[in-house]
Amino acid sequence: MKRISIDPITRLEGHGKIDIFLADDGSVANAYFQVPELRGFEKFVEGMPIEEVPRVVSRICGV
Amino acid sequence: MKNLQLETGNQKLEEWMAKLKLAAYWAASCGGCDVAILDIHEKILDLAAAADIVFWPIAMDFKYSEVEAMPDGHIDVTLFNGAIRTSENEHLAHLLRAKSKTLVAFGSCAHIGGIPGLANLFTREEIFKRVYHEVPSMANPEKTEPEPKSTVAEGELTIPEFYNTVMTLDQVVDVDYYVPGCPPPPKQIWNVVQAIVSGKLPPKGAVIGASEKTQCDECPRKKQEKKITGFKRIATAQPDPDTCFLEQGFLCLGPVTRGGCDARCMTSGVPCRGCFGSPDGVVDMGAKAISAIASVIEAKDEAEVQRIIEQIPDTLRSFNRFGIPASLIRRKVL
Repeated sequence: MKRISIDPITRLEGHGKIDIFLADDGSVANAYFQVPELRGFEKFVEGMPIEEVPRVVSRICGV
Repeated sequence: MKNLQLETGNQKLEEWMAKLKLAAYWAASCGGCDVAILDIHEKILDLAAAADIVFWPIAMDFKYSEVEAMPDGHIDVTLFNGAIRTSENEHLAHLLRAKSKTLVAFGSCAHIGGIPGLANLFTREEIFKRVYHEVPSMANPEKTEPEPKSTVAEGELTIPEFYNTVMTLDQVVDVDYYVPGCPPPPKQIWNVVQAIVSGKLPPKGAVIGASEKTQCDECPRKKQEKKITGFKRIATAQPDPDTCFLEQGFLCLGPVTRGGCDARCMTSGVPCRGCFGSPDGVVDMGAKAISAIASVIEAKDEAEVQRIIEQIPDTLRSFNRFGIPASLIRRKVL
């Protein structure tokens, strides 16, 4: 099955890639959107003083 | 090109900027560094008119395969932001190092690890458990976790490996210069651009786009060499807007943080958390911060010292907010 990989997805914040699989007649058989990134804010802000959190989570997305 | 009036020092840029090939990349980052480059506003037009941008995912549609096809040393300068969190980040660091004559660690994450570096206080398993299984917004009955390789009906899919440890850029490749800040201030970015295009760069390994002194040197708040007898939090106490945070008992990393941002946090009503890293000569910023804070505490005996220190919440992340991967401890013991 023919595959078209779009890596990376551009002009947006964050990391992404798309794998598109083509059937024999050239039509799209399936496509997968993948997010190849994680930083783990959900974990590393735990237990942090509340007044510090806005200055940390604003770094989830700086766009 | 003929209309370009931009000058750096005595040298007109137009002659050789046409040949400059520039790239910018984000590894484990938030995009704020890329947006800070765009925040040089109309000067971006000078930059775009004079330099060929050959790779910049936030703004232009180049693919990794196009970077891989470049000859080594093809790119004059790459501004690399973001920490090294995954195998993809590390691959791009090696790739862009090979393709670039000059590689710049741009922003706190590439420089000293940044906010993503806080994850070094946990293991990969602890992070996955929280993110993919415990958070209230997660529905994951099949208990799926990211796998570097997965097989689907149509073939194999791959995603990068999530490392246990976040690294700075210079922990994986050779770095020529460092531009600090979360993000670097646009004024400093323009200084850096001018230094690059005019070829007036300091010796390799230097921090550029910043001051050689500390935040206190730029901070407009009044300082009186006053000792403190306790710590307060801005969540529960109101700081005076004109007086040094530290002398009021609010933890501030200004004394151990490199200047260059015009004290943007202190002039916005919050103490410094050290995103610029430390000035030259400091081995461990967190240790230096503890030493600096200790020197302003006034206490009669050890018990009183203990009482005062315990008023600082979350000491590890307060003294090492942006630089755990670059610190001596680097991470929690695995």
